[in-house]
Amino acid sequence: MNKTFYNVSTRTSVTEITKTALVAALYVAVTTVLAVVSFGAIQFRLAEMFNYLALYHKRYIVAVTLGVIIANFMSPTWPIDVPVGGLATFLVILLCRAVTKKIKNDITKMAVTALIFAFSMFTVAGQLSILYHLPFFYTWYTVALGELLSMAVGGVIMNILKKKIDFTK
Amino acid sequence: MMDKLIFGRFIPGDSFVHRLDPRAKLIFVFAFIFIVFIANNTATYAALLIFTILIILLSRIKLYFLINGLKPILILMAFTFFLHIFFTKEGDILYHWKFITIYEEGLRQGIFISVRFLVLVFVTTVLTLTTSPISITDGMEVLLNPLKKLKLPIHELALMMSISLRFIPTLMDETDKIMKAQTARGSDLTSGPIKERIKAVVPLLVPLFVSAFKRAEDLATAMEVRGYRGGEGRTRYRQLKWHVRDTIAVLSIVVMGAVLIYLRKYS
Repeated sequence: MNKTFYNVSTRTSVTEITKTALVAALYVAVTTVLAVVSFGAIQFRLAEMFNYLALYHKRYIVAVTLGVIIANFMSPTWPIDVPVGGLATFLVILLCRAVTKKIKNDITKMAVTALIFAFSMFTVAGQLSILYHLPFFYTWYTVALGELLSMAVGGVIMNILKKKIDFTK
Repeated sequence: MMDKLIFGRFIPGDSFVHRLDPRAKLIFVFAFIFIVFIANNTATYAALLIFTILIILLSRIKLYFLINGLKPILILMAFTFFLHIFFTKEGDILYHWKFITIYEEGLRQGIFISVRFLVLVFVTTVLTLTTSPISITDGMEVLLNPLKKLKLPIHELALMMSISLRFIPTLMDETDKIMKAQTARGSDLTSGPIKERIKAVVPLLVPLFVSAFKRAEDLATAMEVRGYRGGEGRTRYRQLKWHVRDTIAVLSIVVMGAVLIYLRKYS
């Protein structure tokens, strides 16, 4: 085979594009089909565990952001949710990657990510307080608590999952 | 399965709004969000409400479709309405019964916020109901094109979005199938101790990820074989055309903005 005809860089980038797109699609599918797995009083969004993926490969930064953008299109207030949610997710993921870069222990990495995501829920609380005039701090507190729970359960699942699938490739 | 997805709730049709270019519709909706916040008194909110009704009429979408998909939002709206009515304590007292006192200002605020929300939600929903997800993606790609100068890979992002949209229904079906397959093997997601239920999710996700990655590999090979070489110089299968009606739609929102500013000042 004549190697000059086989452009390695194009090949990788096309695969990157399709893999990113498919993971984004999977995010949306999981968000809608397995919308809420409820554990009694605790409602937990399974798709939140996708946030951890970005820690393993930078491809998932775009994949998760894109997934959030498409999923947010389902909301009736999407012209606000899509840009705000998309941008917030993107920035928070970048922040998580930067902060956890030097942490060696995987569990600590995940815990820090979960805490940052829970803290970042002020974007959702801000939106709710502007649109519906709901009290900001109370909304932030409840949304952040829900997020933290979702991320905790998601972390446990991700921990088992990453032993079976290599997300770094 | 698809009815869960508002994005997939696109209703094909041939109304004025359906035929508008997706770029015009996107500009319209984003401008609409801005002008909604200009409104501050009865006249402006009434004007917005009339404008919204006109848009719904032009789109020929049945009100039933609109309201049906928006039930959860309407409940939240009712909740905020009552929150304002019972907790704003300004203006004259309109009604008093035991511990319930309704003030004029509370009623006014409640109605204003509800109307603002209603028009916002209706107009954006009309857009998603009259535009296919793929045209929204095409429209966004063109509108975001100037960002290419900032080295943002707009073409690649739009392509990823189109691929995602194409595969969402496929992966949703697959999730459903795997769920049924695992249930048939005795896996239980709905009862038992929390630890067991969390564990039950793993056999669901592993095949899903594996299959998504396999599809991605196959698709990449297919694209390579067909000679995909990135955005530069690529021609389009779906062409966007700007018509006079699109200019009219964009102008209408400008006029509406001007009317609202006038009403805000002089009424």
